[in-house]
Amino acid sequence: MEDLREITTLQATTILISTIIGVGVLPLPLFAVRAGETGAPLVTLFGIGIAAIGLFIITKLGIRHPSKTIITYSEEILGKWLGKVCSIFVIIFFTILTALAAREFGTVVTTSVLIETPLDVTVIVMLVLAAISARNNINVFAYIHNFYVPIILAPVLIVVAVSLKNANILYLRPLIGSDFKEMFFGALTVAALFQGSFIMTLIIPAMKQPKKAMKASIWAILISGGLYLLLVIATVAVFGTEEIKQLFWPTLELARTTSLPGNILQRLDIVFLSVWVTAVFTTIFASYYLTIYSIKQFFRLQDHKMLSYFILPFVYILAMLPEDIFQMYEIIRYVGRIGLSITILYPLFLLILDVLKSKRRKHSESKQV
Amino acid sequence: MSQNKYRAKRIFLLICLLPLLTGCWDSREIEQRATVLAIGIDKAGPGAEEREAEVSHEKGDISIPEENMIEITVQIAIPGRIPLGPQVGAGEKKPVLVVHVVGHTIEDAIYNLQQEIADEIFLGHLRLIVLSEEVAKEGVKRFNDYLRRNPEIRRTASMVVSKEKASKYMEASPELERVPSLYLAEMVDSLVDLGKFPESFIGKFWSIFSSEGQDGYLPYFHIKGKKTIQINGLAYFHGDKMVGKTNPQEIGSFMAGIGAEKGGYPIFTDIPGNKKEIALVQAVKRKTRIKASLKNGKPHVLVKVRYEAKVSEKESPNVKIKKEEDIRALERGFSNAGQRSLSDLIAKTQKAKSDIFGFGEYFRAQFPEYWKQNVETEEGWGNIYENLSYDVEVDTYIRHSGMKDK
Amino acid sequence: MDKVKKGGGIVVLFFKEKKKNGQIISKKTPSSVVEEHSKNKISSSLDETVHFMKGIFGDSNDFVIKHFEVFGQFHAAMFYFSDLTDQTVINNDILKPLMYIPNHLLQRKIVLNDLKDVLINETLYHSQAKLDDCLDRLVDFVLRGETVIAIEGIAEGIHIGTRKLEKRAVNQPETEQVIMGPREGFIENIATNLALLRYRLPTPDFCVKKMEIGRLTKSKVAICYIKGIADNKVINEVEKRLSEIDIDVIMDAGYLEQFIEDNPFSPFPQVHSTERPDKAVANLAEGRVAILVDGSPFALMVPVVFSQFYQTVEDYSTRFLMGSFVRLSRMLALVFSLIFPSLYVSFISFNPELLPTEFAVAVAGGRAGIPFPAVVEVLAMEIAMEVLREATVRLPKQVGGALSIVGVLVIGEAAVNAGLASPITVVVIALTTIGSFATPAYVAAFALRMLRFSIIVLAGIFGLYGVVIGVIFIFNHMLSLKSFGVPYMAPVSPENYQGMKDVVIRSPLWWMPKRPTFLHQENVARLREKRNKALEHNKIGNDQREEGTSGGPKRNHNSSSDDNLN
Repeated sequence: MEDLREITTLQATTILISTIIGVGVLPLPLFAVRAGETGAPLVTLFGIGIAAIGLFIITKLGIRHPSKTIITYSEEILGKWLGKVCSIFVIIFFTILTALAAREFGTVVTTSVLIETPLDVTVIVMLVLAAISARNNINVFAYIHNFYVPIILAPVLIVVAVSLKNANILYLRPLIGSDFKEMFFGALTVAALFQGSFIMTLIIPAMKQPKKAMKASIWAILISGGLYLLLVIATVAVFGTEEIKQLFWPTLELARTTSLPGNILQRLDIVFLSVWVTAVFTTIFASYYLTIYSIKQFFRLQDHKMLSYFILPFVYILAMLPEDIFQMYEIIRYVGRIGLSITILYPLFLLILDVLKSKRRKHSESKQV
Repeated sequence: MSQNKYRAKRIFLLICLLPLLTGCWDSREIEQRATVLAIGIDKAGPGAEEREAEVSHEKGDISIPEENMIEITVQIAIPGRIPLGPQVGAGEKKPVLVVHVVGHTIEDAIYNLQQEIADEIFLGHLRLIVLSEEVAKEGVKRFNDYLRRNPEIRRTASMVVSKEKASKYMEASPELERVPSLYLAEMVDSLVDLGKFPESFIGKFWSIFSSEGQDGYLPYFHIKGKKTIQINGLAYFHGDKMVGKTNPQEIGSFMAGIGAEKGGYPIFTDIPGNKKEIALVQAVKRKTRIKASLKNGKPHVLVKVRYEAKVSEKESPNVKIKKEEDIRALERGFSNAGQRSLSDLIAKTQKAKSDIFGFGEYFRAQFPEYWKQNVETEEGWGNIYENLSYDVEVDTYIRHSGMKDK
Repeated sequence: MDKVKKGGGIVVLFFKEKKKNGQIISKKTPSSVVEEHSKNKISSSLDETVHFMKGIFGDSNDFVIKHFEVFGQFHAAMFYFSDLTDQTVINNDILKPLMYIPNHLLQRKIVLNDLKDVLINETLYHSQAKLDDCLDRLVDFVLRGETVIAIEGIAEGIHIGTRKLEKRAVNQPETEQVIMGPREGFIENIATNLALLRYRLPTPDFCVKKMEIGRLTKSKVAICYIKGIADNKVINEVEKRLSEIDIDVIMDAGYLEQFIEDNPFSPFPQVHSTERPDKAVANLAEGRVAILVDGSPFALMVPVVFSQFYQTVEDYSTRFLMGSFVRLSRMLALVFSLIFPSLYVSFISFNPELLPTEFAVAVAGGRAGIPFPAVVEVLAMEIAMEVLREATVRLPKQVGGALSIVGVLVIGEAAVNAGLASPITVVVIALTTIGSFATPAYVAAFALRMLRFSIIVLAGIFGLYGVVIGVIFIFNHMLSLKSFGVPYMAPVSPENYQGMKDVVIRSPLWWMPKRPTFLHQENVARLREKRNKALEHNKIGNDQREEGTSGGPKRNHNSSSDDNLN
């Protein structure tokens, strides 16, 4: 079933968008402001740039091997054993990423809405939802992402639009807020929020026209990056940098500061959170799917359905490891930085090797001729 | 495949049912919540320590905060007293319960309050926080933390400063609305709509408070007679402490200074040629441009205000407004008055080092180098603001003079 | 001749056996006897045939064997069920010409060998007179109301279509009523239903494949599709799934539905059934396959997508603005019926801060004194509502009206007064129920009604978060469903531009020149280029009309097309 190439370019784009936009939406302005003060939008832009480069590398690699994922073509490029070792890292990384996303989600929910509900329950419910959905084949995976994208984009845009009446453009200046070293590290943190785009390696083998993958990547990074940038600009303009530093989730506060005209709903934050659950679901779903699909390919299994439940306890335990919110964000930052080497440097390395190898092959072929 | 799906469903069902065994953690029915509609914060009188319930600490505990004790007065909606739908004759009993408690901090006081009330205190509908002038002058920083930390409290709630004890506002019963605190909250909201006060909900106050180049401001209330409450001016802050208040007329000037678009204040303007006759000219719209510049290393601001106004009343029948020149003259008169008033207000706030206009933000945004060198802390900007040189230019355009000729 | 003899021999043998040990044989059911003889031919001996038929049908009193002489010379017998057949046809069109030599045959000498041809071609006044020599088939014909004639010395039987069934008139369908649009509905008789389809589709491309399902009922099943539009894979898949069904009785199309749907555990219908021929034809024209069953007034349509369930034929027959508006309100009702009560529960028990303060305080007043949490209250009211609905469905109309008044007004009012439910809850439940009635497809509405309960429970545990989780779960399930290879949420996800024009709003017909390709049709053109030109007045408006009145040719064109229609 999975060999059917049915995913369209639009679906690939939407998968990327909904995977990228996730838990990170809430603390993003804080990350950016911490690193860049009023230069937060610039930091975000840098981050998007770094993420875009990473995504382009992955896409390029995928186009060169249009019927394989990174798990399979890495063996081809690096040799069987080295490839396997690297794949193990990829799998472990995405397991951790899934767990951390679930945990971060649970933390937000239990601190802002469901205060007395145990963290475990919110995390488990989300993971179970992802696990059950991950049993579907890759086409359904694409449909699900495709379906939720407008639901994910709309509330952010609405909140940004409504909150703009409280904006103060002065808060956005000067454009360069701090020194470049800090901004660079901040950009790395922001870029780490885009790690979900690694899912592209899984999509390309299922695409109708793998050659159009680059187009999908560009659109996805433009839309999701644009949204992130818009969000950072709006939060900074509404709160100012100093206020943002005092908030864990500035985006959520942005929703709390705005109320719909006409008092239809007095508070947007809870509605925003509820819809944000969808965004988190698609992200966790994607990284969960990536994990089990990679494991399936790693062991060359036929089916990934049972794996879906098998992995669940591990992800859950990983998710419950951080002790509090500060430790959690510490770990997220740390894992994010390490992750960049897996999601950007490793593919870059693969790409270079691959290009060299094919050149040599061509060279030798032409010699033979 | 179908069997797998069936199993998946069973597992999901089990997981759905599991929480039923443990209960619904956060579920609390709306009528089981003590919905706090408004909080008034006062300084506790003498002997407050004695009155305090020992909830969060024992008497004589060392870790008691050093600040003065506060007394909070809350207004709690009583379910059932406020009927569903428009019912007549429901005004017999008071629809809200007013409770006074003392504590060292807000949270401490709220805990003390919870000790007295059966239902769980619910702050999700807190629309209004009244600070008495006394408390505001001592500083509001101590309250911010709790209000920011609690997810129930909305950022769009209003905070006001009161001339009298805040508890009086909780007990006042204006007759225009069934629920007194709602009347107050709606009053604050409508102030914005009428152009009487700029947006000043807590979230905005916090943002301004946090920013380095601006000081906070809140509406200042005063109880008139028994039943009505008046907006009596604007309380301006330096840091977290209230340092003074303006008169209501000056709010208009202030709004001109920050460039609030909607105008709501009239000014008596001399009708040229008749020294004793005056006309009321009301600002309808404003447009403000602030130019910050460094003159020889000294900061300087130029405030340019362009009013759009209308003639709303002219008292004497003897004088006539019928020529274009009359309107021009009125415009000039209005401009002068506005210019004077705004200059006075800036001077007044300069004395208190309270930059409620946010001129500092312009310098921070436009001259980051200067800012880094001269203004390290907020206190620093206050000192510079004190000696800030400024120019005010006011330009008026009277669009119409009403339905009446002459 | 040899073969005939053999067959006859076996029949004789069989009756001999019966005589020998009748007890064992008599346990054999007539159908198994017929089965045993499924390959045998009819005997040329009339006695044998009569004997055989008696053995098969002898127990039924409405079975008639009538002996007569053809043209006064040949012995013959006629077999039929008196209640299934049209007596006047038998008398006038069969017996009369057979017994009374027609004028044109008076001069002829008729020999036995020519007899059957003479009878079929020159004598019987009936178009459905045919020859058959298989015993089992003849038995079958008798069962289906035809009259079988056996003649001494001829090893073939003549069967004549004399079936006469009382059937309902073609009425307005009960389940799918429209204000504007055709008023016909399918009836139980498959022949009438096929006729209704053919009447709307006079094209040779419209194909009907027939098969029989049901060991006892032998229900005729017809697979209808339009060649060149429907996907061959779907047709083959339908045939395959239908042919795999082995069941004794098929009472209704619903029986088939349960065998051919893709995911039987899903609450969502994966086959669309309709009572309306116009709807069926519209679906056929979109490339779907319709399945009709004898005895059921419902046609099944596959493959389906979810959006079909809130569309009605009326959307298309009314102007597009009206159609779109109605459809939007219907979708709103759909959403209402699914999540409205759970939203209420989460607002009341979890997030009262979302309500306007005034209202929240008042709602708290309305709920004061009610002993149950909102979840229990809403669940109890919902269940009461379900019971009430079920009760009214079965009742005669006159009583039903009274019951619903008692149920809704009296109980609702009393529950509020007694403090069992808050007035707002009653409003919410009422709105939900009305919302669920607004969905045109009963089955789809039912799915949502069922799922509503689980969402209410989730809302009772997690508040809004639970609602969202529940909705995500439902959507994921719907997105993973497939109906005959077509994804259930098709025009939306996977996206399909042509299909999207007909999902949320109903675009003007001239905006939808192509059929939605998610059904994989072979031919997607709905409007032809030439026809589109006739719609140019849409772009130019009155200007063109004025031009048209002054210049002749355009009007001529119009009038000619009118002629075509007539």
